[in-house]
Amino acid sequence: MGYIYAIIILGGINIIAVLGVAILTCYTGLFSIGHAGFMALGGYMSAIMVKEFNIPFPFALIIGGTFAGLCSFIIGYPAFRSRLRGDYFAIATLGFSESIRLLLNNTKTIGNITLGGAFGYMNIPSHTTVLAVIVCVILALYFAHMFVTSQYGKNSISVSQDEVAAQMMGVNLMKTKMIALFISAFYSGVAGGLLGFYFAYLSPSFFSITKSSDLLAAVVFGGIQSLIGPFITAFVLVAVPELLRSFAEWRLIIYGFLFVIVMIFRPQGLLGYVEINMSFVRVFWNKLFHRKAKTQEG
Amino acid sequence: MELFIQQLVSGISIGAIYSLLAVGYALVYSVYNFTNWAFDGFMAFGAFMAFLAISSALEAPFWVAALISIVLTVLLAVTSEKLAYSPLRKRKAPRLFMMISAMGVNLAIVNLINLFFGGTFRKFPVDNLQPIFIGNVSVGRMDLMAGAISFGVLALLWLFLYRTKWGLGIRASSIDILTASLMGINNDAVALIVFGITGVLSTTAGIFFGIKYAVFPMMGLVTIKAMIASIVGGLGSLPAAILGSMLLGILETLVSGYISSTYRDLFSFFFLIVILLFFPNGLMGKSGDEKL
Repeated sequence: MGYIYAIIILGGINIIAVLGVAILTCYTGLFSIGHAGFMALGGYMSAIMVKEFNIPFPFALIIGGTFAGLCSFIIGYPAFRSRLRGDYFAIATLGFSESIRLLLNNTKTIGNITLGGAFGYMNIPSHTTVLAVIVCVILALYFAHMFVTSQYGKNSISVSQDEVAAQMMGVNLMKTKMIALFISAFYSGVAGGLLGFYFAYLSPSFFSITKSSDLLAAVVFGGIQSLIGPFITAFVLVAVPELLRSFAEWRLIIYGFLFVIVMIFRPQGLLGYVEINMSFVRVFWNKLFHRKAKTQEG
Repeated sequence: MELFIQQLVSGISIGAIYSLLAVGYALVYSVYNFTNWAFDGFMAFGAFMAFLAISSALEAPFWVAALISIVLTVLLAVTSEKLAYSPLRKRKAPRLFMMISAMGVNLAIVNLINLFFGGTFRKFPVDNLQPIFIGNVSVGRMDLMAGAISFGVLALLWLFLYRTKWGLGIRASSIDILTASLMGINNDAVALIVFGITGVLSTTAGIFFGIKYAVFPMMGLVTIKAMIASIVGGLGSLPAAILGSMLLGILETLVSGYISSTYRDLFSFFFLIVILLFFPNGLMGKSGDEKL
């Protein structure tokens, strides 16, 4: 049972991080291959908060996420101001995450907090349980859904479709992209925090380019403009290599070929443009209690 | 002063390696409007092939090994074009798809190398590495060679692009690929030549990078620097890519020489942010973007 729990926890953490990337990549059209950097920032920050300042675990996660979000402005502001798009924004994020990893690798102490450099930050209190992860995943999915159906989400989608047209309709490009980047980095930060509280240990090597590629893979396979697609693939991509251990070293090679195959044969991804739809729950609920279905809803 | 000159020479040679890579990116970008992410895979592949040709039973001399690896990498580049990009180009897919496809090619190549040869660092087997002394200044032989050959390759590329009919075809395609094909330029041939050139450029860079540092599967990560250099110089133009690369190479070497080599990579990233804050279009960039 413990093994199943481990897969659920790791899968859930991956889902939260992937939802963050999905908000940025699938809905705003900004391609990031550096979200491992935000995970590292959030993870270290929330671990420090709990271990050194005795802040309760949920608040520490929020602080870690916010910290990652704020740090995203370091890369976001100059990149959006110079209208770096597509590939070059991806480079900037990759450079950012590699710098974060390098910085953590070479930082033994901050003040009197021992970060341990490349050896990793040890003895983090273990707080992440299955329940905590499931609650976090549900909240993350709920808020992501609220975001993409809100006015901000619609702005983001319009930016991803055509920046010039969106700007002509009065969408503030800078603000929209910054908000999307902040939320996306927040998600990654929370995921990093959960990871740290699960392993009771954080090392800069967790957050290498491989991690970013994994996140990206889930989003690409999951589908463009969909939350449920990346949600499913994020879990599957953690669970399958766990269950088939011998297949583990071929994982990234297979991802690589799948990227090409998916782009050629099904570029919208597994569940592209399929949105989570909760209206069936309402219909079911109404049937169950013989209430009048409100047609104007949903 | 001697130290400074040594650092400068070293910086120029690393800048020359970056410019090979940056020019390769700029070439693909100017014609097809996407970044060929598979470039770092090609670079590692080229370096590994040269390494194997020298150190395996073949025991090829350096120049032969270089030639073999260039031929193999060009084949790989052309194959990846045919398999991964050509179907997308024919369908006029958005450039995001090309980019993801290129990332896939890269992931596959780098991890295949990792699987077959292992992730260990290997020393590139070259002899005759004694530095040359000019007065009191010792200059690495390989630094000089890397610089000279890189500039030679770039000069050849320039001659090809500006003095031959094929080059004219590529330049025409970079302005408008559709009109160029209406004028009788064979799009597929242009694609093969462009990707072939990137194969040559990335292998040359890979071999010299391997000699200067080591040969390992993740060595292609250095192409981030080349991309940073092409952003610093200004997107999509070949001279700007070379300027950015030289600047980045020299500054980076000076930082690692005078401050600390651990913060060298950090420096190049902060350099990018500072340049973007003050020159949003890069140093030589035109504001080509549509602005309202």
